[in-house]
Amino acid sequence: MEAEKRFLNLENRILYLIDIKGDNIYPGFFELKAKADKLKKNFYQLSSGEILSEMESLEEMLAFYEIKAERDLTPMEIARIVRNPQRFTLRDILDNVYDDYSELGGAGDCNIDPAIVVARADISRKIGNRIYSHQVMVIGHEKGKGEEFRNGGSAKPWGNEKALRYMKVAETEGIPIHIYISTPGAYPIEDYPGSAQQIARNLYEMTKLKVPIISVISEGGSGGAEAIGLSDMRLMLSHGYYSVISPEGAAAIEGKIPEGKKAPKELIDFCAEQLKITAQDSLSLGVVDRIIPEPPLGARKEDDGFFRRLRYEMLRATDEVVLSTKTFRTLRAYSVKRRRKMPIEGEFDVDIRWELSHKERMRLLRLRSKKYRSMGTRFFVDLRHPFKKFMDKASSGLRYFYTEVYFDLLKKHKRSVEKVIEEVSQEGTIALAPIKNPFKSIYTFIKDRFPRRVLRPIDHRLPVNAVADFGEIYVSPLANEDRVITCPNSHTHGCLDLWVPDLYGDLHGVCPNCGHHFPLEYQWYLKTLFDKGSVREFNSHIGSTNSIGYKGFDRKIQGDQKKTKRKSAIITFLARINGIELVVAMLYSNFRNGTVGAAEGEKFVLACDHARALKLPLLAYVHATGGIRIHEGTVGVVQMPKCTMAVREYIDAGGLYIVVYDNNSYAGPVASFLGCSPYQFAIKSSNIGFAGPRVIRETTGEDIPPDYHRADNALKRGHIQGIWDRRTFRKNLYMALLTMGGKNLYYR
Amino acid sequence: MTEVDLHDLLLKYKSHPYELVRIQTPHTGRVEFKVEDGMAISGPKGKWQEIRGTLLYILERQKNPKPMYAPIDGTVVEVQTHLDGAFVESDEYLMSIKHPMNKEEVISKILCELLHIFRAPEKAKYLYSPQLAAKMGDKKEKEVVIQPGDEILIMSRMKRDIPLVYKGEPGVIYRTYFSPTRLVDQGEPLLGICPVEKITSVTRLVQQIHLEWEA
Amino acid sequence: MERVLIANRGEIAIRIMKACQDLGLDYVMIYTKEDQNSLHVKLAEQNQKDRKRLFRVSSYRDPNDLFEVADITSSTAIHPGYGFIAEDYRVARRAVTRERPIKFIGPRWQVLKDFGNKINTKKIASALGIPSIPGSEGPIYNEMEAEDIAVRLFEMQQEQGIPNPSILIKPSTGGGGMGIEEVVHIDQFRRIYRQVRNYSKRQFGDEGVLIEQYIKNVNHIEVQLVCSQHKEIVHCGTRNCTIQTGRRQKRIEVAPGLDFSQAYKFDPQRILETIISYSIRMARYVDYDSLGTWEWLVTKEGTPYLLEVNPRIQVENAVSSRITTFKNRASSINLIREQIRLALGDKLGYKQNDLSFKGVSIEFRIVAEDTKRGFIPWSGCISNFQLPTYSWLDVYTHVPNTEPYVIPSEYDPNLALAVVWGETFKEAKERGLKFLSEAIIEGENGYGDPVTTNIEFLKNNIDNLCRYNYSGCH
Repeated sequence: MEAEKRFLNLENRILYLIDIKGDNIYPGFFELKAKADKLKKNFYQLSSGEILSEMESLEEMLAFYEIKAERDLTPMEIARIVRNPQRFTLRDILDNVYDDYSELGGAGDCNIDPAIVVARADISRKIGNRIYSHQVMVIGHEKGKGEEFRNGGSAKPWGNEKALRYMKVAETEGIPIHIYISTPGAYPIEDYPGSAQQIARNLYEMTKLKVPIISVISEGGSGGAEAIGLSDMRLMLSHGYYSVISPEGAAAIEGKIPEGKKAPKELIDFCAEQLKITAQDSLSLGVVDRIIPEPPLGARKEDDGFFRRLRYEMLRATDEVVLSTKTFRTLRAYSVKRRRKMPIEGEFDVDIRWELSHKERMRLLRLRSKKYRSMGTRFFVDLRHPFKKFMDKASSGLRYFYTEVYFDLLKKHKRSVEKVIEEVSQEGTIALAPIKNPFKSIYTFIKDRFPRRVLRPIDHRLPVNAVADFGEIYVSPLANEDRVITCPNSHTHGCLDLWVPDLYGDLHGVCPNCGHHFPLEYQWYLKTLFDKGSVREFNSHIGSTNSIGYKGFDRKIQGDQKKTKRKSAIITFLARINGIELVVAMLYSNFRNGTVGAAEGEKFVLACDHARALKLPLLAYVHATGGIRIHEGTVGVVQMPKCTMAVREYIDAGGLYIVVYDNNSYAGPVASFLGCSPYQFAIKSSNIGFAGPRVIRETTGEDIPPDYHRADNALKRGHIQGIWDRRTFRKNLYMALLTMGGKNLYYR
Repeated sequence: MTEVDLHDLLLKYKSHPYELVRIQTPHTGRVEFKVEDGMAISGPKGKWQEIRGTLLYILERQKNPKPMYAPIDGTVVEVQTHLDGAFVESDEYLMSIKHPMNKEEVISKILCELLHIFRAPEKAKYLYSPQLAAKMGDKKEKEVVIQPGDEILIMSRMKRDIPLVYKGEPGVIYRTYFSPTRLVDQGEPLLGICPVEKITSVTRLVQQIHLEWEA
Repeated sequence: MERVLIANRGEIAIRIMKACQDLGLDYVMIYTKEDQNSLHVKLAEQNQKDRKRLFRVSSYRDPNDLFEVADITSSTAIHPGYGFIAEDYRVARRAVTRERPIKFIGPRWQVLKDFGNKINTKKIASALGIPSIPGSEGPIYNEMEAEDIAVRLFEMQQEQGIPNPSILIKPSTGGGGMGIEEVVHIDQFRRIYRQVRNYSKRQFGDEGVLIEQYIKNVNHIEVQLVCSQHKEIVHCGTRNCTIQTGRRQKRIEVAPGLDFSQAYKFDPQRILETIISYSIRMARYVDYDSLGTWEWLVTKEGTPYLLEVNPRIQVENAVSSRITTFKNRASSINLIREQIRLALGDKLGYKQNDLSFKGVSIEFRIVAEDTKRGFIPWSGCISNFQLPTYSWLDVYTHVPNTEPYVIPSEYDPNLALAVVWGETFKEAKERGLKFLSEAIIEGENGYGDPVTTNIEFLKNNIDNLCRYNYSGCH
């Protein structure tokens, strides 16, 4: 009996190793496997002594290979470890790390989303002979074993919503949150509350959740991981992976593999390596704080030692977060206690209470903000002369100071005076003035002017039009062709073909029959949306780099920088609309398809801070975004919580944050700093979503209708607040500036 | 209709189970054929008809080469090859598609003969009246009863919307033949209306056709 | 040699074709499959022995088909007629700015664009001290401002002692009387304002509205101008188009614009001269370079207001042609011919002094419609279409009189324009009645109902010509 069990275990280890190494299995290993198979076949013919000696020799050989395999684990092999059914799941952690737990919001498949498990749990420590117990909220992905309904730990939008709900319970009760991330990614469906929108909402709330949050990454699949991953201490298991995209997904994109075909293995291995997905990579990129060691070739269900270690690490990490919020005096009190006995690894000498006072909670949030704001700051370039840097800082400092003095000290007084005047005169004339001057309609503002090549100058001497003459007027270069194109809705709406100079001229790229919006280049918006000459760019010196050293990416970045004459995929600038100044962050398609990396994230954060300091409204105009930049790996991924942090702090300070989507906006940014805005609008004919149709088909196995991501469907699902026509964009924006947002706006 | 009649009718369709669909140019331009006589082609496919049919020809007008796809499955016949590469006027006959009718289409044709057909009084576009549209709401086609005197359709022509009042027997709308974006010729069927008491017998007939067709 | 693409249908296509023939120009005719039995198709068909002159297109409105046919036939000019693309400045601009330019027979596109915009027209008028209908000077987007204007308009009308004052709210973009609503009391204003604003936003993508005084009991008088590209301007007198359907479609037009034998509260001669001089002032100011019609509303008291400018040939041009004669040539002018000639760059070749006005001309628009039931268009087959012929009568029609004709439901069911002439109003009216009584129009529709025409309506309204307080259909 004993021998059988032992052999079974041996066999399992062999199969596990084959699973992990895949095609890279050592040639000699087949010999081992053959021997094991032979043993199995002859198991009952052999004497127990023969079996024993045979097994011993096999175990010795196996141990040799296991050590060897552990030593030269490749990133893709780590991915396979994580995905292996022998790996522990959240259930094992709840059983082994915590003393007692009760699951909330679900039982097995009777659950709003069995991929997310929430449990109220006790975790305890022994000091001397006494046992001290702590209450925590455990939230994580449950892959389940052979439980299809768990969806492999891929959380649906409502699963993430459930997670958030119980985080708030933890906040109310003042207990820390332990998070276990083990997901290949979020389930990409748009049904309410929507994959991207819910992740954004989670991030937005977690930035300011007033309890310590500790997270552990085992399988960190991009947006799915971020949905519950924003925390004060980010731990990672030594055999876990954390990635912006699955290596297979990256390979499909890199190799431009057609749908339904598999990417070659070499390419997948290459991507896994380049994406820097291992624990060690993550630590050195600064996206996790500490690595929790696992046994060789990763922890499995039976690794009791590992769970002991995990318990110790969770207690220690929570302690550290709690202690970081303490004042110097409290800390000293702890250290006095500690000095009595030297602690041993894995043991505790002092019980630290995890409740926080109000001040400590504030400190916790400050530290969390600082932590996220500093993420990825190593990974962009500042191309200014040091002296210019100094001068820029000085001048913006001066303006911040001025804004503060003027608005916070003087304006408050002035406002109360104005209020009196208003009440006395009984006529809101002052307040009405900006509305009463009918804002120059976009039609007159961007009066048509045709490219010279096509148009001969024709005497145009109607003096009344002189009023509308704004001098040099922007015309899309697309208009410069005597050609006709067909509206995509022509077969349903009977639209006539459109002459290109008309369409991209005074029709502003809009089909006059059905209102379909043809894409226009981002320059069109720069030139026509804002008051003439009011656009002043800032931080243009911050540029994208090959942050994680992805092979071959330098060339791509340089190519795009040359093509666009810009250094990153985001343009941040100050501009005015009918005299109201605002900060704009514009993601545009021409640079790496508007993807977000370290430089873009940093520029966005700086734009938020700029707007906050100057009491300006903030517009994120998304000309297009393809998501988080794959080539920046997890450095890209952490821009999601980082930028959301900046947005949250801007909104909490009383600003107005408006997001306007155009063309195509997908993935990470939508699932974080864009999707968290209370005011999201879309330009007509745009697409908004989490994952594109192909990813949806490949992950869910279901096809989606062609208009699945269309703005009108996003509006129907409640993801956005309205659809704007490009021709009235300026007017709508102006109305939004006047009617929406908080108190901390200079013109309020 | 007796079963014998039905059988004859079925035989008629079985002996000639094809429909010829004429392909004409929607506007002027230079035509370039992409198919030949005898080629098998497919119409739009996919759950949402999102996969286009076979490319039949390209019609280029004012530097806009417009690909034209097959509207229906079948075989290409009578390609007017002499027009290849030439300028053609609007509504020029280019080819036909010999479309083998399936069971559903045959049923549709036979139903035309069984139901009370409400035909287009004039060539116009037709849409449901707001009242009927509201009544239909999320109900299925076969559940909405209309009464004589009900305003059922809006006839849209010459920039005017004219309400149409139903005059025949009360019944349910069994079939809808029009689409609000398409111009319907005078006399073409708009609605197939089945008197309430006959629904079961019509449904049974349809089932019978299903069986007969297989046989 | 110039070749004119006639981008229209029916009677105007025929008139343009004849004008081209008179001028010795080649032409190309287009038609849609619905129109294949129209006379304009038959006439063009007969004249293509030397080259193909008739092309089938998908729609008269699709400029792409028009330009494609123009390119295939090497046409050098395009005549838009009236309706369809006639006032589409984009088509006019495309014609002259494309790689192979084509002359657009009409004013230059900038003028089309500015007169296509009610606000601009009004602005130009007020800049020149020309009276236009009191109201907003530009599109209004703000409700409070809108109400402010409305209040002032009501007050002004009360001060002037106008009974039943009312105002109109119109979408600032768009045309053809679409979306216009009347407000008779200031309390209704906000509700109706919002209704029009929403309609405008839905229909034209712009929320702007115009607010105007609703001027009632008026005569609709228009001034026909003929201008060349060489800064020459003459006028061809005035026309009165007050007899209209409930939907503001003209049915009877008469030249001259007022009947001097009638008693008015004002001096009719002086009023006509005033609106002519205003029109000319405006044309000169914008450097108008083609045919054009300035439409005016003249109140019972004799106050004129500029309504709009029609920068194209009009349906009723023939009544002006009929009474405008060359002093030394004893022939009357042909406005369509003039329009083509001038668009090709000709000089006028005569001055105002060379023109004189003789007699009275009335045009009747014979339409298959039910005048008693909201002028619903009738469609069906015309089996017998016989109109009398007289020396004092010109008939323009595309309905063949030798074979049955099915009225295509895609287009307005106009059957014919009949233009009669008489020495005096009295004689012209008598001849008109005579003509209307002799016209034979028979046919039936799909239900077997006989054709309904507006002939009775026309007869009944002859006596209302150039009168005030006629209850008509307003």
